Amino acid sequence: MKIGREEVLHVARLAELDVPAADVEGLVAQIGRIVEYVAQLDQVPAGEQAEPFQGGPERVALREDVPGSVPLVRGPESFAPEFRDGLFLVPRLGSMEGE
Amino acid sequence: MSGARALAERLRAADASGLNATLHWSEELLLAEEARVAALKGAGARLPLEGMPVALKDNIVTTDAPTTCASRILEGFRSPYDATVVTRLRSAGALIAAKANLDEFAMGSSTEHSAFGRVLHPTHPDRVPGGSSGGSAALVAAGVVPAALGSETGGSVRQPASFCGIVGVKPTYGRVSRFGLVAFGSSLDCVSVFGRTVADAARVLSVIAGPDANDATTVDRPVDPVGAVPGSLSGLRIGLPAEYFPADLDPGVRAGVDRAAAALRALGAELVPVSLPHTGYAVPTYYVLAPAEAASNLARYDGARYDARRIGPAGDLPALYRATRGAGFGAEVRRRILVGTYVLSAGYYNAYYRKAQQVRNLIAADFTRAFAPGGVDLLLTPTTPSPAFRAGEKTEDPVAMYLADIFVSAVSLAGLPAMSLPVGLSEGLPVGAQLVAPAFGEARMLEVAGAVEAALGAAREVR
Repeated sequence: MKIGREEVLHVARLAELDVPAADVEGLVAQIGRIVEYVAQLDQVPAGEQAEPFQGGPERVALREDVPGSVPLVRGPESFAPEFRDGLFLVPRLGSMEGE
Repeated sequence: MSGARALAERLRAADASGLNATLHWSEELLLAEEARVAALKGAGARLPLEGMPVALKDNIVTTDAPTTCASRILEGFRSPYDATVVTRLRSAGALIAAKANLDEFAMGSSTEHSAFGRVLHPTHPDRVPGGSSGGSAALVAAGVVPAALGSETGGSVRQPASFCGIVGVKPTYGRVSRFGLVAFGSSLDCVSVFGRTVADAARVLSVIAGPDANDATTVDRPVDPVGAVPGSLSGLRIGLPAEYFPADLDPGVRAGVDRAAAALRALGAELVPVSLPHTGYAVPTYYVLAPAEAASNLARYDGARYDARRIGPAGDLPALYRATRGAGFGAEVRRRILVGTYVLSAGYYNAYYRKAQQVRNLIAADFTRAFAPGGVDLLLTPTTPSPAFRAGEKTEDPVAMYLADIFVSAVSLAGLPAMSLPVGLSEGLPVGAQLVAPAFGEARMLEVAGAVEAALGAAREVR
């Protein structure tokens, strides 16, 4: 499938990523080339029923997802842009409404 | 002169040479490290790496130095905790030497994609050192440190090890904790080791390996000790996969691997042809799955939780996300996030992501068949299709850059242990051979590599 300017800008919106206008044409060409390259996977005979890969060796047994108690030497206030009363502060939601 | 001061002199000299392999180090921290090791020794601790300087790729978090992942989006970030591998190195008496430069968020094959400038090849400055762990590799190859940690998602330690003429070992997925390794592709990421020699790499790996309660994908299985270098490899069967020796393989690389094969034969090993028929699909499979996982993992860099923040023109939350991420990520990271988002998006998921997961299973099954009873014990291949390429040669064509990993990415997809071993020089440039082992076969692989290293001796021209 050929990737065009609109597809790249749509995917950039999905990825929450501003793309400078001057970079768009280059990205269209590069992403088009990458997608064309990976599309060769179509040639592999692996039907709908083929099993997808399960990450990790067979012996991996996931533990219960219980938050651990890793000792922290500094809190999030030391690296967050704005942090108050245990909360990360961000601008208003604004235009997210309706999106 | 103390070991820490001598190390500081070597780091200063490397920085002054323009190598650009370090992102952070200080003499003050080195002296503190040395004092800490002396205190451990005084308390009677067992220190298998006593005084050994080890550099860290700057995607491994430490509390006492910044962790940037070579990205503007994390510039100035200091982790609130240490990675498990750092804690283990320190407990074993190692000195944490420096945070090393890398391709931004470990995405690249040349260490040209760092926000803080490219890393030079240590002996050929017009060439790349490989990537993404190019800073760690360059520091070891330049003799600044005897060992360093890098990380592999798709060959990012073996490939630069080959380009720089050093040893690079990727363990089995699950053998070493990823706790504190900044996530890129979570089903692929492995903390991995560079060493000047097989023995140095093996010593470091033996310290960092083992289960970790903070990483559920580590395996609770004893770490086999690496034995003495065997004098004979009689009874060992080593496979030469036909797909790794294409007609257009660089003649110098081929000569280097032939030299390793001859050494193995002389030691009594039997070399047999094998086939891994899905090898050709490894790079496209990797470049669907790794960007998909990256797009998900890097969603956390949004202007809310880490220092870097840009308020977009609308001044609201979506504008904050888009502006921060657009300004903070470099070109290669942006490209991979876009590809990853594309292959995961509605209408394309089955065609790309699910299909790639199926092909990944076929690639892993190729290795399972090769290592099945009656098959081979190890595989021998080239690590890279050519020696180190020129800086700038592949930056405009991402697919050409990705193909630099053609012999290393299948192993990463299968989660197997593998290593690159220097086997000679081609017109002065190092070339490496790759050994691949079954899951958790690191000890045997390192013993065989030690035997080849001893047999080959000092690096020499092979063409």
